Amino acid sequence: MKRKSKLRALINLLAPFLGLILVLVIFSSIPDVQSRFLRAANLKSVATQSVIVALGALGMTLIIISGGIDLSAASNIALSSVVTAYAINAGLPPLLAIVLGMATGGLVGFINGSLITGLRLVPFIITLGMMGIARGVAKWMAGNQKIDAPLTWVNELMAKSPQPSWLLLAPGVWLMIFLAVATAVLLRYTVFGRHVFAIGSNEATARLCGVRTKRAKIIIYSLAGLFCGLSGVMEFSRLTVGDPTVAVGLELDIIAAVVIGGGSLSGGEGSILGSMIGVFIMSFLRNGCTMMGWPNYIQEIIIGVIIVAAVSLDQIRHRRSA
Amino acid sequence: MNPSAKKILVLLSVIGLALAGCGKNKATPPAPGEAKVFKIAVIPKGTTHEFWKSIHAGALQAAREQGVEILWKGPQKEDDRAQQITVVEDVISRGVAGIVLAPLDDRALCRPVQDAMREKIPVIIIDSGLQGKDYISFVATDNYQGGVLAAKRMGELLQGQGRIFLIRYQEGSASTTERERGFLETVQKEFPGFRLLVKDQYAGSTTESAYQLAENLIGRFPDVEGIFCPNESSTFGTLRALQESQLAGKVKFVGFDSSPKLVQALRDGHLHGLVLQNPVKMGYLGVTEMVQHLRGQKIPELVDTGVYLATKENMDTAEIKALLTPDLSILD
Repeated sequence: MKRKSKLRALINLLAPFLGLILVLVIFSSIPDVQSRFLRAANLKSVATQSVIVALGALGMTLIIISGGIDLSAASNIALSSVVTAYAINAGLPPLLAIVLGMATGGLVGFINGSLITGLRLVPFIITLGMMGIARGVAKWMAGNQKIDAPLTWVNELMAKSPQPSWLLLAPGVWLMIFLAVATAVLLRYTVFGRHVFAIGSNEATARLCGVRTKRAKIIIYSLAGLFCGLSGVMEFSRLTVGDPTVAVGLELDIIAAVVIGGGSLSGGEGSILGSMIGVFIMSFLRNGCTMMGWPNYIQEIIIGVIIVAAVSLDQIRHRRSA
Repeated sequence: MNPSAKKILVLLSVIGLALAGCGKNKATPPAPGEAKVFKIAVIPKGTTHEFWKSIHAGALQAAREQGVEILWKGPQKEDDRAQQITVVEDVISRGVAGIVLAPLDDRALCRPVQDAMREKIPVIIIDSGLQGKDYISFVATDNYQGGVLAAKRMGELLQGQGRIFLIRYQEGSASTTERERGFLETVQKEFPGFRLLVKDQYAGSTTESAYQLAENLIGRFPDVEGIFCPNESSTFGTLRALQESQLAGKVKFVGFDSSPKLVQALRDGHLHGLVLQNPVKMGYLGVTEMVQHLRGQKIPELVDTGVYLATKENMDTAEIKALLTPDLSILD
């Protein structure tokens, strides 16, 4: 009996990796690209390409576990990137620009959280509204066009070949790894982390047990906003321009990553590791499809199928264990 | 539960083995034959607009003539700068002989293009400009001239008098901004009788968003006499709005680029002029020049593929007809 449960634990541990392994195996066994697909240079560029969605997914995981949703994530990323570009363009020191960009993201998140708890409306509605507001403010700030900011070290954060070269990966990738670990620890080993799960499982019970749900929710959305702000800084670093039209629809990619990674839209479930795997499954799929020269519609169909397949597999696993 | 658990373990180990096998494969040199047939990546701004299909057709035709292979890949979302950067990075990773790129942004694409040149992959820029000089040739329409042509046609249609709209395409798109500038400057310089009711509204990247904008603008200024739109999606969206509000044909309407629906509108008299580029030629020359460069020939640094005006009167001449309804049978 004990052996069985150990085995079960192992499977549960490995199960989230299955999809990722499958994608890697498929592309590295296609003769056309196999010599190139697993090369260090390609892995590096996939890692860099994943940073923006991954940072957004960290915050989204917190929100989804708590039973909420954030549709404004992508608009928030665009707004933060525009603010960063605007600040650098205005001659502020780059570090201050980064702080301002992140603060913008955090502020948007804080407003989301406050409105959700204050007006007692579902997160879907509030963040749907914020999606338009943040996008509009971004366009307004940028004067309806992109902002060409002078090149600074901020743009090196997402350079594929970093300076100094012993870094191996872009600083943004290291930041992503560090924050993923930190968020996982926060979620698993702190009281706040347990509260996030409690709220998502049953908010009323959590409140009756003495969890200050309102305060916790505001913190969750603000944190997620900060992650989006940082993601916006990275987006600016990558584009070298502040583009208010960037990342349209990216919130769905972010949500998909969390869901592929085992997050449940009814709350109470999800993990940072799973979400990160979800991010990488989608990045490797994009990368592989492009390398193969497959048309975009094939890529879109595959990703759609993966979302449905991943979630239904997860469901089956759960039903069995129940 | 136990047997199925075993199955999963077996599956995992098989995958592990497969992965180990792939690791070995990595060390073997790339297959021979890669050196003989050039593989050239052609990266458009999007893949669904008629315009990009024409570029694709031209590129394919050139590839057939030159005996090279084409890798045609646009950003998954039309007009998404970040995704186009990703596509360029991925084709660099893949390894191609050359890249023909229509950059979505004159600045954001600089770094990936530099990366390509550093990896000894030459880049030819088509359609829209790129800052800096990290590419070997620029093949494009003189977009400013296209705007000038549209303004002159509008002046002719309205005898230089009237209330007009300039509907812009999208924030930060270099080629359409040039067209808008050409139109605006010519109107201000040569036709002081025109009054621009609208000149700072953006149609957005889809037909739907253009339709909505045009509908709202027409609702607000029902006495408009002339409209100019700087690309296919904004032209078509505006056309739909005009047709819905029974104004098509009454309002003088000059658009840009072609599609079957726009050709029909030109024939019906709903459109009074279409400024045309030659995208087939652009795709064709992009690939042909790349092959010539790869074979060690010298190629010009700048190629203008020309702008043309189609009207109801000239639309059946052979030259304009080939531009209005380009032969895309090669794509099937």
